[in-house]
Amino acid sequence: MSNPSDLKFLIVDDFSTMRRIVRGLLKEMGCANAEEAEDGAVALNMLKAQKFDFVVSDINMPNMNGFDLLSAIKKDDSLKHLPVLMVTAEARKEDIVRAAQDGAAGYIVKPFTKATLEDKVNKIMQKLAATA
Amino acid sequence: MKSDSPETLSERETRAASTADVFLQVGSITRLLHDTLAQVGVMPKLQLAADGLPDARSRLNYIAEKTAAAADKVLNSVDQAKAEHKLIADATRQMAKDIVADPVKAVASGAVMNFVGDVEASTARIDQHLTDIMLAQDFHDLTGQVVTKVVKLATELEDSLLKLLMQVIPADQVHKVEDAFLNGPVVNPEGRSDVVTNQEQVDDLLASLGF
Repeated sequence: MSNPSDLKFLIVDDFSTMRRIVRGLLKEMGCANAEEAEDGAVALNMLKAQKFDFVVSDINMPNMNGFDLLSAIKKDDSLKHLPVLMVTAEARKEDIVRAAQDGAAGYIVKPFTKATLEDKVNKIMQKLAATA
Repeated sequence: MKSDSPETLSERETRAASTADVFLQVGSITRLLHDTLAQVGVMPKLQLAADGLPDARSRLNYIAEKTAAAADKVLNSVDQAKAEHKLIADATRQMAKDIVADPVKAVASGAVMNFVGDVEASTARIDQHLTDIMLAQDFHDLTGQVVTKVVKLATELEDSLLKLLMQVIPADQVHKVEDAFLNGPVVNPEGRSDVVTNQEQVDDLLASLGF
């Protein structure tokens, strides 16, 4: 995996405001190529229809929540390589641990800063490059 | 003459008696519930709260709409202000190059004065966007009043139901809370050891588990 600016991001959150904020921050990081989904079910369909390189997902969403989306991605041979960064208001330790055990590449609690998002995205990218 | 239906007279009488018995029991339970509510003193409050619920729903919808509209306004202004800022930054870099290359020409050609004019106009537009962002915060006043009313309603409802609950549930069940109602942002982490309060704690927790 190379330059973040080459990557295509999928931002998954049921609040349009949050999707817009994450998209704006990614753009400031040089990652202008991003699409949005309002829940896990829509996201999964989009992931199966198009090529994405990185998923940024909330947890609490209708239709399909972030945990179920993560699980579906990791069970799908064509998608399981995708890094999934959870960005969520859920601050319970059991949720953090669960996300990590289910294969999330990172976990950010809201509210968060641009620096935190940038740090996590870059660290995930470096880790993937190292294991590639 | 037709023969009797498969259900005999005796069976019909038994069924009727059983139905009447059920009605009596339901009536008795209803009376018990009514009396308990009255004794605990929650009936009037519960009634008020129940009457206020549809109104509470519409008030909460109002809050959601107002905050979403405010967020959109702010983000639009931010986008536009950032675009203006980029114009200034690019023009400044170009002006710096021009002045270094040929300062006399930069002034004589009017480039410097044009640049000054452009910056002035851009900063005025940015200032307007900042004012718009400030004004978009008016949702707080409007939603704050509505929130106060809904909180009052919810408090009354909670008080009434809690009183009733304390009367009827076994002692060992008192502290059970439906897990689903705890989802979402942690409003008050004080005294809780099951939640984190910042990103550093998230990272520490994950690191301690080898992630």
